Amino acid sequence: MNAQVLQAVWAVVLLTGTGTVLGLVVGIVVKLFGAEIDPRIEEIEGLLPGANCGGCGFAGCVAFAEALAHGKAEPTACPSNSAAAVERICALLGVAAGTRNPKVAVVLCGGDNAKARQAALYNGVVDCKDAMLVAGGAKGCRFGCLGLGTCARACPFAAIEITAAGIARVHREFCTGCGKCVAACPRNLIRLVPADAPVHVLCSSPEKGAAKRGVCEVACIGCRKCVKASGEDHITMNGFLAVVNYDNPPTAEVAAVCPTGCLVATTPPAETETADPAREMVHA
Amino acid sequence: MPEQVRFRGGVHPDDGKSLSQAAAIQDAPLLETYTVPLLQHIGAPPKLVVAKGGKVLRGQRLAEPSGFVSAAVHAPTSGTVKEVTEVALPTGRTGPAVVLQADGEDKADEGLAPLTDWAEAEPQVLKQRIVDAGIVGMGGAAFPTAVKLSPPATKPISVLILNGVECEPCLTADHRLMLEQPEAVLTGARILARVLGVRTVRIGIEANKPDAIALLTEKARGTGIEVSGLRVRYPQGAEKQLIHALTGRKVPAGGLPMDVGVVVQNVGTAVAVAEAVTLGKTLYERVTTITGRPVVRPGNWRLRVGTPYAKALELAGGVSFDPAKIISGGPMMGFAVYSLDIPVMKSTSGILLLAREDVTQFTGEACIRCGRCVDACPMALMPGTLSVQIENERFDLAETWHALDCIECGCCAYACPAHRPLVQHLRRAKQEVMARRRAAENKSKR
Amino acid sequence: MSDTLGLIVGAILVNNFVLSRFLGICPFLGVSRRLETALGMSGAVLFVMTLAALVTSAINRCFLVWLHLEFMQTIVFILVIAGLVQVVEVVLQRFSPPLYRALGIYLPLITTNCAVLGVALLAVKNDYGVGKTTVFGAASALGFGLALVLFSSIRERLDLARPPVCMRGTALALVTAGLLALAFMGFSGLGA
Repeated sequence: MNAQVLQAVWAVVLLTGTGTVLGLVVGIVVKLFGAEIDPRIEEIEGLLPGANCGGCGFAGCVAFAEALAHGKAEPTACPSNSAAAVERICALLGVAAGTRNPKVAVVLCGGDNAKARQAALYNGVVDCKDAMLVAGGAKGCRFGCLGLGTCARACPFAAIEITAAGIARVHREFCTGCGKCVAACPRNLIRLVPADAPVHVLCSSPEKGAAKRGVCEVACIGCRKCVKASGEDHITMNGFLAVVNYDNPPTAEVAAVCPTGCLVATTPPAETETADPAREMVHA
Repeated sequence: MPEQVRFRGGVHPDDGKSLSQAAAIQDAPLLETYTVPLLQHIGAPPKLVVAKGGKVLRGQRLAEPSGFVSAAVHAPTSGTVKEVTEVALPTGRTGPAVVLQADGEDKADEGLAPLTDWAEAEPQVLKQRIVDAGIVGMGGAAFPTAVKLSPPATKPISVLILNGVECEPCLTADHRLMLEQPEAVLTGARILARVLGVRTVRIGIEANKPDAIALLTEKARGTGIEVSGLRVRYPQGAEKQLIHALTGRKVPAGGLPMDVGVVVQNVGTAVAVAEAVTLGKTLYERVTTITGRPVVRPGNWRLRVGTPYAKALELAGGVSFDPAKIISGGPMMGFAVYSLDIPVMKSTSGILLLAREDVTQFTGEACIRCGRCVDACPMALMPGTLSVQIENERFDLAETWHALDCIECGCCAYACPAHRPLVQHLRRAKQEVMARRRAAENKSKR
Repeated sequence: MSDTLGLIVGAILVNNFVLSRFLGICPFLGVSRRLETALGMSGAVLFVMTLAALVTSAINRCFLVWLHLEFMQTIVFILVIAGLVQVVEVVLQRFSPPLYRALGIYLPLITTNCAVLGVALLAVKNDYGVGKTTVFGAASALGFGLALVLFSSIRERLDLARPPVCMRGTALALVTAGLLALAFMGFSGLGA
């Protein structure tokens, strides 16, 4: 046998031997320390939005995927996921898909700079939480939106825009209802409501009608007209403030009776599609 | 003047005291209504003890302390309780307040008898009197005085310091008080020393008030109370800096003066204590400086608690031109307010109006890492670095960089050539860090 | 003794694998966002590099040279490294899942990390013995860790800065890496 063939044989033997030995070592280590990894976790993770918004109550999408695989969470708990993805996760886990009422955030204040009075000129850090530390905010209404964008920066989906008139507005088509903005707003103006809610009272001030009127054109003055028009089941009075009963909402027509324009009907999504440039701006 | 220990950092702003320091304290005339807020101190809100329509006398209790860290509130004059309502406060919050309709007679309540033999009285009795009179720290923080006078047995107190530094620019209330009521200051000091059981009492006064230093030194001769003139440097009157200057002791980070055996009280507090003990007078009025270039007659007034800022300003002759900014307190540490419909409180040391030329409107720019804020910080923090962390909402980092040690003196923002809102950032960070700690505590409890 | 010391100083500072030889750049840029992951990566590399140096050197001496199979070095070394990486991966997954997740793809990529293969091949080229190779491997791993920790600390600070948009992210990271490499040039001439 010539030397070259012999060398080739030795090469094969050497590689096989090294491979076998290492394979044994790895096998032993796996036996000793190996952790049981559910292959579904990675798959589920791929079906989640990956924004780590925390809306599900877990510390990010990976933690949620793990909880799902272990049966400790419902696939519908993720507020941001599409219905199709939820269905696929359910199929993967072999559970029946629960129904989920999609929610969106709404800023319950309509007093932008054109309609609500500013009490002072604020010249500090551009953040609502910082502004709150200076005499409680410079807006005339102590309960109104400061418009400095803390919620917009908190939104993982860039669904909140600070309008040119200086108020936060949620773009419903992008909002997934994760609730980050709800926690961010220092004035507690943002609420998660059913996505199909037809009307909202865009005012959160519990003050008396006259006091509110003094600082804001579009405040709820507590006239009860909407309550009379729709019935107590649909809109209730909380002191001087009308509150929409989102479990049993009134029809959109009731908005017409509001004398201040504080009760507004939800704009159909078709009209808000023009908001795309603003969204691009937020992303940039 | 003996050589003083110098605290690190600090700044030297124009003191602006010449406007009002020559004006003797004047008593304010009686008003028709007073709006007396219930929560005027740091701690638990007191419990209301009068009802709507009830008659009260001057100095009578309107609310009683609801806990250890709480303080009573008293009526500024005799009259009827018109209503109890929610009002805006100088701090920017709102809170419940008693609206008092004065009857014009200003009849005094005789509830607390003068303790003429205080030099022999039990410390406990004296301390109870301080609680009964609703006395809180008059320097600005309004921490209930009796709490400061009750150190735990593990922390013996050896030195009492009276703070007459008044390093805050523009304010002259403490200065006038020391000039006009030196006996009350010294009596208060001796009462406080008796309550604490300390022998060493020192009064620190900034060297820009030579008349007050001379007068108090003269009056204190033979009492064992030592009066010291201190270097003119802001924030010389901050508790920890003052302790360092007078005793050389350093309060540890996150600690209290009692950790180094010291209690600091403001001279205004000492006068209130003296009056409560020797006259039986409760704390319903205080000396407040009303000053600023727009003010027609800047000066110092003895204002009753609950006087609206607008009425206080009328006393000073109103304004000669529109102010650009109104500040409750001094220019360095005071709070900007936007309404004059807020009442004077026990902690209102000054009402300052700033002209447009005095107010700078800058937009904060990027940090240029010059380090002036680090040089200026009396607490040896790095405000520039902290502010960048805070801008990025990294409050976890800010906590490890000791944001909580900030005393909010404002030296960093004063020194910053890029006009960065450093102290504003730190204020926010302190709030967020405390909120995070509370959240973590609640979590661990559950 | 001074020979070994020179070798160690040389491997850590003078001929730093990342900053002087420019090997192992992939994890250097990939896992340097946070100090904790950088420390985890350094630990993993230290383990793999030291053992790989020891095992490859032994195999080289005992089998390859003896059998005149030197041309098989690369493939055999990679095989050894791959096996060791598997061990690290299994252990990390069990004992520190967050670190495992943070290292992500960069952990299995240690297999093809040129720094590890570089240690093995350089040791052969320089004709180091088994003991010396092991020391060389450990020191090189420490040098790699030093560069990674320094760089990640700088990047944590950079995260707080607001550079112009065109410089954000990798662009600024690469500039920083370049400056760091320049700084390490100052060590040339030190030790061996």
